[in-house]
Amino acid sequence: MAGLQDIRRRIRSVKNTQQVTKAMKMISAVKLRKSQERLVALRPYAGKMMDVVQRVVGRIKGDSEIQPGPAAQAFLTPREEKRIRVVLVASDKGLCGGFNANVLKAATAFATETQAEIVHLDVVGKRAAEWARKRKLTATGEYLNIPLAGFQRVVTEISEGAAAQYHAGEIDALYVIYNYFNSPVAQTPTVFKVFPMELDRRTESREAAEVPHLLEPDPNAVLETLLPRFVETELLRNLLESSASEHGARMAAMDKASNNAGEMIAKLTLTMNKIRQASITNQIIEIVSGANA
Amino acid sequence: MSQTIKLEVVTPERPVFSAEVAEVQFPTAARGYYGILPGHTPLMTEVGDGLLYYVQDGQKHWLTVFGGFAEVGPDRVTILARESETVDMIDLERVEADRQHALKLLKEAQTEHDLASAQAALDASLIRLQAAGHPAGHGF
Repeated sequence: MAGLQDIRRRIRSVKNTQQVTKAMKMISAVKLRKSQERLVALRPYAGKMMDVVQRVVGRIKGDSEIQPGPAAQAFLTPREEKRIRVVLVASDKGLCGGFNANVLKAATAFATETQAEIVHLDVVGKRAAEWARKRKLTATGEYLNIPLAGFQRVVTEISEGAAAQYHAGEIDALYVIYNYFNSPVAQTPTVFKVFPMELDRRTESREAAEVPHLLEPDPNAVLETLLPRFVETELLRNLLESSASEHGARMAAMDKASNNAGEMIAKLTLTMNKIRQASITNQIIEIVSGANA
Repeated sequence: MSQTIKLEVVTPERPVFSAEVAEVQFPTAARGYYGILPGHTPLMTEVGDGLLYYVQDGQKHWLTVFGGFAEVGPDRVTILARESETVDMIDLERVEADRQHALKLLKEAQTEHDLASAQAALDASLIRLQAAGHPAGHGF
């Protein structure tokens, strides 16, 4: 049995660890609130944007009178997906439960399934970069240690780059693999295709009876400004989802760690008390039996 | 056919406005103001900078809008604005300070680009002042 001193030392060390995990949990809670606020504010806008794009684009597809210009076509007409661009979003730091493992598992599955011959990969977060390196994939873009305020810049860079690549025929589709933020304790790894647009069948059938939109001043001008904004909004939303998910996952993981540490302290304290009690009992017995003799 | 339109104004920062209204008028980027009544044909256009008004219970109310897109259907108007605020959200003192600052920049502007951005800032502050019913906005 371990000595009293050793157990005391262990309790102290576990207590220190618990303090660290508690502090990390608190920090994550604050960061989660910041990311979540921005995400919750953006979601209605992104949702409406998605609705509008679906309605407008869905009808243009059915309407042969409008000849979409090159920019609009880029987003409308699916080409065979031979060359794709994938943005993989994970975190920079660990200690956040299954957050990275789940999204990277989804990425691995996507990598084996994809029919594409050429994949341009962008990685956001160190964990994503490490994953790419392990698989000997070269990332064309690496975005590490991006603060919340820096998201917009990353989003603009990727979406403008991707749009230009589509025009030049260098890529046929843009995917994002990220963690969808369900709630602070639940994230779902998601593979999302930004463009070409996958139309929701519900919208198509429900709205089929309505007349197509007038696009003023002219269809191509509207689509050429609308679609890049749409891609940007979706990318920004995906980054925010991932950021909120990360902090949520870390908060949950640290909460669990703090609880486990608490349990461990309780267990160790119990053992310590038992040992102390045993030694006291032993001493009393010795004294009593000594007196009897 | 319904007699009202569902007007929704959202920005990336927050949902600004959502309610049933009788009439909407908003500025477009290319063709001046569009007035929308219930039963309008579906339409999609780019929104300009300026004042949007809607009529609710016979009263006109104002919102500022800065860029973005509008989608119109028979019973809805959805504005995806880059920026937008209701009159309540406008901080008069700050806008007045912005206006003074923009005026100063306008005088000091060296390049074409500086001039354009200063003018845009001045216009934005004037739109906000006008929305809030401030006398300085009426010259706009």
